[in-house]
Amino acid sequence: MNYSPPKRIDEIRFGLLSPQEIRDMSVVRIITPDTYDEDGFPIDMGLMDPRLGVIDPGLRCKTCGGRAGECPGHFGHIELVAPVVHVGYVRLIRSLLRAICRECSRLLLTDEVRDHYLHKIKELKKIKRPIDDVVREVFFEARKNTICPHCGAEQREIKYEKPTSFYEGEERLMPTEIRSRFEKMIDEDILAVGMDPKRARPEWMILTVLPVPPVTVRPSITLESGQRSEDDLTHKLVDIIRISQRFQENKEAGAPQLIIEDLWELLQYHVTTYLDNEVAGVPPARHRSGRPLKTLSQRLKGKEGRFRGSLSGKRVNFSARTVISPDPNLSINEVGVPLDIATELTVPMHVTPFNIEECKEYVRRGSKHPGANYVVRPDGRRVKILDTNADEIVEMLEPGWIVERHLKDGDIVLFNRQPSLHRPSIMAHEVKVLPGKTFRLNLAVCPPYNADFDGDEMNLHALQTLEAQAEAWILMRVQENILSPRFGGPIIGGIHDHVTGLFLLTNGEKKFSKRDFVELLKKCDIEIKLPEPAGYEDEKPYWTGKQAFSMILPNDFSILYKNGLCQRCSECKKEKCENEAYVVIENGELKCGAIDKKGIGAFEGLILDRIVKEYSSSDAARFINNFTLLSIRSIMHFGFSFGLKDEDIDHTAKAQIAEVIREAEDRVARLIDAYKNGELEPAPGRTIEETLELRIMEELGKARDSAGKIAGKQMGMTNPAVIMARSGARGSMLNLTQIAACVGQQSVRGERIRRGYRDRTLPHFEQGDLGAEAHGFVKRGYKEGLSPIEYFFHAIGGREGLVDTAVRTSQSGYLQRRLINALQDLEVEYDGGVRETRGVVVQFLYGEDGVDPAKSDHASPEVIKSIVSDVVGKDLEKVV
Amino acid sequence: MLDRRALARAYFTKEKLVSHHINSFNEFLRHGMQRVVDEEGIIETNIEDTYVKLGKIRVENPQFKEADGAFQRIFPNEARLRNITYSAPIKLEMTIIQNGVAVGRTQEADIGELPIMVLSEKCNLYGLTPEEMVEHGEDPLDPGGYFIVNGAERVVITLEDLAPNRIFVEYGEQYDEPIEIAKVYSQRFGYRALTTVERNRKSILEVSFPSLPGKINFVTLMRALGLESDEDILKSVSDNPEIIKFVLENLEEAEVETKEQAMAVLGSKVAAGQARDYQEKRANYVLDRYLLPHIGNSEEDRIAKAKYLGRMAEAVLELAIGLRPEDDKDHYANKRLRLAGDLMEDLFRVAFNRLTRDIKYQLERASMRNRELNVSTIVRSDVLTERLIHPLATGNWVGGRTGVSQLLDRNDYISALSHLRRVISPLSRTQSHFEARDLHPTQWGRLCPSETPEGPNCGLVKNFAQMVEISIGSDEEEVIDTLYKLGMEDWRVAL
Repeated sequence: MNYSPPKRIDEIRFGLLSPQEIRDMSVVRIITPDTYDEDGFPIDMGLMDPRLGVIDPGLRCKTCGGRAGECPGHFGHIELVAPVVHVGYVRLIRSLLRAICRECSRLLLTDEVRDHYLHKIKELKKIKRPIDDVVREVFFEARKNTICPHCGAEQREIKYEKPTSFYEGEERLMPTEIRSRFEKMIDEDILAVGMDPKRARPEWMILTVLPVPPVTVRPSITLESGQRSEDDLTHKLVDIIRISQRFQENKEAGAPQLIIEDLWELLQYHVTTYLDNEVAGVPPARHRSGRPLKTLSQRLKGKEGRFRGSLSGKRVNFSARTVISPDPNLSINEVGVPLDIATELTVPMHVTPFNIEECKEYVRRGSKHPGANYVVRPDGRRVKILDTNADEIVEMLEPGWIVERHLKDGDIVLFNRQPSLHRPSIMAHEVKVLPGKTFRLNLAVCPPYNADFDGDEMNLHALQTLEAQAEAWILMRVQENILSPRFGGPIIGGIHDHVTGLFLLTNGEKKFSKRDFVELLKKCDIEIKLPEPAGYEDEKPYWTGKQAFSMILPNDFSILYKNGLCQRCSECKKEKCENEAYVVIENGELKCGAIDKKGIGAFEGLILDRIVKEYSSSDAARFINNFTLLSIRSIMHFGFSFGLKDEDIDHTAKAQIAEVIREAEDRVARLIDAYKNGELEPAPGRTIEETLELRIMEELGKARDSAGKIAGKQMGMTNPAVIMARSGARGSMLNLTQIAACVGQQSVRGERIRRGYRDRTLPHFEQGDLGAEAHGFVKRGYKEGLSPIEYFFHAIGGREGLVDTAVRTSQSGYLQRRLINALQDLEVEYDGGVRETRGVVVQFLYGEDGVDPAKSDHASPEVIKSIVSDVVGKDLEKVV
Repeated sequence: MLDRRALARAYFTKEKLVSHHINSFNEFLRHGMQRVVDEEGIIETNIEDTYVKLGKIRVENPQFKEADGAFQRIFPNEARLRNITYSAPIKLEMTIIQNGVAVGRTQEADIGELPIMVLSEKCNLYGLTPEEMVEHGEDPLDPGGYFIVNGAERVVITLEDLAPNRIFVEYGEQYDEPIEIAKVYSQRFGYRALTTVERNRKSILEVSFPSLPGKINFVTLMRALGLESDEDILKSVSDNPEIIKFVLENLEEAEVETKEQAMAVLGSKVAAGQARDYQEKRANYVLDRYLLPHIGNSEEDRIAKAKYLGRMAEAVLELAIGLRPEDDKDHYANKRLRLAGDLMEDLFRVAFNRLTRDIKYQLERASMRNRELNVSTIVRSDVLTERLIHPLATGNWVGGRTGVSQLLDRNDYISALSHLRRVISPLSRTQSHFEARDLHPTQWGRLCPSETPEGPNCGLVKNFAQMVEISIGSDEEEVIDTLYKLGMEDWRVAL
């Protein structure tokens, strides 16, 4: 194999192909529209000329001698009988025609003016800025002159007619005429319109020679019936040559002008559709079946086009996809890979004297799990390992070979879930080969992927080089991504039962016997040094849940915060808080307070946050692993379930709720009366109607809240639903309110439901009824059941949510794409500034403050507190 | 309390679940096809004094022409199993009339095959007992209401459409300023023409309709239609003094005084740059053909059209001064459902048109070769059949609508029932259309509040409510007669 050293690209220049260039790079002039003769051999000087490259395996290219796959193909060319306009440049041709003299082809500007613009362009080019604005001005100014300042000729109006015709006054401008005008242009004028006379002379926009792409660009496919089916481009080229031929014949026979013009028009049509089959005003060229042809422009455009489909994104090897399922026993850094996938995906292993025995073992095992699928010989040939040839290969194996061995435990792979909206959507995991058919992952890594297990699928990519593996290990491993690059808090952390479990464990004083206490912690990766028992009961020592949690904390860890249970009392009772809201951890010991979502949850977890920042990501990973294991043991110890009965509230509470709602309805009625009597005071900046709506909404909102409070009080802190809502594990008090007490006001786009019949929502109400019930207030709760009218209003409100999610996802996807396209090339340099690819400074200091949000501590100066407390001593009290 | 289950049971024993499809298709068989034939009436030819008179149209029961040429009655299940189309021959009476006398007798020609809806009145299963159905391989509980094309069960989905021939007022925008517009989708025989009247920034009323580039002054158009005097125009708009103010303003600004002048202005718009004569001809044609076609397409209808335009103008001005609110396009009173029969009529109309053109061509060819003119030999039945079956098989309806017919969802019994009761809004799913997707209170009892897909079609694809019943439009003449009997006065008398 030839080795060509990598080259650095300094610059890419775009230009037009001159006819001479096209002829020079062409290996054959195509003159016949036929492709194959009767025997199925390509015809010389036909569109499938063997000099254009090879597509059939086994044959060799007549130009370069390469085989299929080696030969990149070679261009040919077609000499057009008459010049035609290139559709891609009609706008430029139009502007140019209007800007130059019809007689002398000079730019319709005096030399002084032109030189002024030339100077401007030169300056802009020097600082690498776009010159478009100047060019536009040149065209604009030049068009204004109706008398040529050079030869004095009077200019006539140039009319452009879609798609490719130009008229000067009433007269049609044929491409020949346009071309000859452009030919006469002088270099300085061309520069002034922003073109480069060396690389893009304007007359080259009028085609006289058409390059014929190599056959490798338009391979024909052989159908099952043995029939050849040609590529769309070939079809189109055939059309062009046919017309060219007919044109030629007619011209030579001296056909009347009318016929010549028709044929010219036809040639123009075919060349136009060859370049772009979706030009406005041109009927698309169709296949015999009626399907529009996919021509050059269609190959490049759009999502499936060359740019977005084949270059920006393409299909990859060494990847796997399957359904995901949870496994609490895996570390957050691991991913469970099904055996079937592990035996299919491979990692290349370079054979060295040091690992040759290991490699041989893999080859020997072949397709049996930790085995190998292929070996690559030093000459680059790949050999598949089969049961029959395994021993043979083992014999031959020596340093320099590569063994593609199966994925095994500890390999590093990338794991991804779409949509990949942020950096942690792709993270590196260590492989753990497991039986089963699904990928397994620790529940704590669900939040960054936004994964759940209702059928979600994820992708896995096996890294193929040591450099890639090392880079992924250092930068992309799950534990390195605990902190979100968005706000600097942990996005990996406890969810659902993790939170509930630790909450149950640490809320109040939970007593455990020695046996139970050890049981709780037995899976955790900690040094078990049983602490002093918290006390004795019936002569037997007991330990508390808080002690259990303390066991997994680093020994010198201290923190103080108020958790989610805090009622924001006017006077904080601190350690004596009866809600267990005041959390104090000193030297790795949980002194008081309950652990909830604010402590260890994803997105918020303060304890987690501090451990990552003050210790290390490995410590944090271990802590997460430990607390997930601990919390699951804990929740299993206590038992936790939730059912319909847990939503029950007794009669008195029900009566209270009914009373609250009745009162609210009364107040609404009074508001309406006040409004009708014109006694309502409008709120600032609002009409009376708006004020009324606002007040009603407010009133009903309050009613639901107090109904919820009554229900919540009824259920108390022992209710599983309340535990989940309070600890932040799942659900909210609002959900509970809606189930047990009152669903509340249904709304569409933030307003009460107003649309419907004339002056009323439903025929069940009087016209003009402004009351709560008539506009979507649902006073019952889900458990009690909704009345038909309430149900319908609820469906109205629910529909809005459904529509919103459906519309939002597509819109945000598009927004994201545009944002990424705009920002993808920006780079933070070592000096802390942000530049784009040309080196132009976008920000002198990243984010204008130089702060890496991942290290920013929820964007608040929280650290200062702890630093101060560290410096001042352990006196947390005073600092807070 | 009333036992609602008894009620529901009684209701659903009468095969109500897909009756909307079956009734609609039966209507098409009984009247719709004849209507299309009568619209055409005769087939004119370029042969001197020769035309074809079209008579009664009739559909037989589904049958299939076997390879040996024998015709055999088929049942749906056979069609499904053999991948053939469940269709029946259409017979049409035709008479060739030359120089005013009939050539030969009236003949009934086979003009093509019509796919037959399962369990419609032409279906071979119609009226069979459950036992007999089982005998013919059919599930007695199958709801029917779909077609079988090449062995595939195709449902013609109910389309929800904005009500035609109804005035809607709404706010529009012109040069960033709000204006008031009245719109009417005027429909006659499948031809739809949007006519609008709008009040522009200078309070001048302008009308637009198809084939008219841009807009024409309201007063000019009224005069062109024959309401010349200020008084007539005023009277046809309103008697509300506030509105009259606006109209007077318009009349003052009028650009023409007489009908002739008005026609000239109209002509210069619809046929700009053409000869005088042609402009006049075109203006007349446009008024009759493209302006409010639902009122009529003859010269006598012009005054009625003017009156109607007056009503539209009134609506616009009422909106402008706040006498009426903007119309709610999502209100179900403003929606019409286009059912299978209705859509088949559209299809049949276009297909039949093609057929008549083909007959004309064939007749002319036969006449050129001096053959005897005979209808039954001249009709090429494939022309019609192909144009009926292809849209049903692909869902590509006439008028470029796609997805009109869909493969019946047979995942289970319930999903098939649901599919037969689906309603689709023609609004594009790519635009947000928040308001159209909302559940509108007027959908109570008509459409299911819960069943709608999630995702891009949310709220645009709907399903019937359990007990919905769909009323069919009634004959216009009947309504008019009744109104006269109730004491309505003819405006022509009042004029």
